[in-house]
Amino acid sequence: MNYQEILEKIKTKVEPVYAKEDLGVLNAEIKSSDIRTVLNYLKSEMSFDWLNFITAIDWIANNCIEVVYQLFSNITKDRVVIRVKLDRNKPEIETVSDIYRTAEWHERETAEMFGIKFSNHPYPNKLLTIDGMDSPLRKDFKCDDMKPLPKD
Amino acid sequence: MGLMNGVDENLIKKIPGAPIFMTSIEWVINASRANSLWTVTFGLRCCAIEMMHTGATKTDWARFGFEVPAASPRRSDVMVVAGTVSKKMAPIVKRLYEQMPEPKYVLAMGACAISGGPFLYDSYSVVYGVDKIIPVDVYIPGCPPRPEALLDGFIKLQKKIMTQKFRK
Repeated sequence: MNYQEILEKIKTKVEPVYAKEDLGVLNAEIKSSDIRTVLNYLKSEMSFDWLNFITAIDWIANNCIEVVYQLFSNITKDRVVIRVKLDRNKPEIETVSDIYRTAEWHERETAEMFGIKFSNHPYPNKLLTIDGMDSPLRKDFKCDDMKPLPKD
Repeated sequence: MGLMNGVDENLIKKIPGAPIFMTSIEWVINASRANSLWTVTFGLRCCAIEMMHTGATKTDWARFGFEVPAASPRRSDVMVVAGTVSKKMAPIVKRLYEQMPEPKYVLAMGACAISGGPFLYDSYSVVYGVDKIIPVDVYIPGCPPRPEALLDGFIKLQKKIMTQKFRK
């Protein structure tokens, strides 16, 4: 399948906000309320059985946080990237850990690194950072003992 | 008489014609400590690979009396902090150090354990040197230090042990 066929199939379920091809891989941005519909469809009907990773990007200038899901199919060897933009002040999205089991840890890591709330997550605890440290990968993160890089 | 290599002549008095020698109790205790150092079996990051290599056949550290990596911190004398100490790991490193019996020694191996190394700037998760949490005896620079440098650090630690005063 090329990216246009995948895009056509996604369009039968939900309408993507924005879609483009990048290095032969489809990048589809969808609304945050559609994420479970799309991932359920991709897994059950289009054989995208492998979730590579979930991560996030902090777009501080646009005041939004983008959550990125990359899926892979072991049968057709296709790849697809699903992107969701969230409000930076109150980022909240529904969990996909019951669709892809591996999403459980990926969501915990993304949640503590970017301060995103994944609702209905079975274990919404911290995974990597110490207590009292919130969203260290946001661009405006400040820490008491952090040394800034010298300019010259 | 491997023990007596590099020892001041005045410290040891051999008695002619008899298989005995006279020395101070301080020297005997220090020499016993310095030549049977057991390390804690733990490594934090990539320096640990170099530490394992130092213990393996090519540069076997048992030749100098560092013997075995102890299976428990309660049996060990020296701790090689080999790698970056993150803030999440710092309480565990400190607990391991506190479990070791006295006298205990610490080697900070590599740039990360000395000062934070490549993670010095803009890092939210790294302790800037293991000496912020536990006292350090010998610092071994390098990223990572070669096995020869680690052995040199161990021999410097032995020299330091040989100069210490008897503890009551």
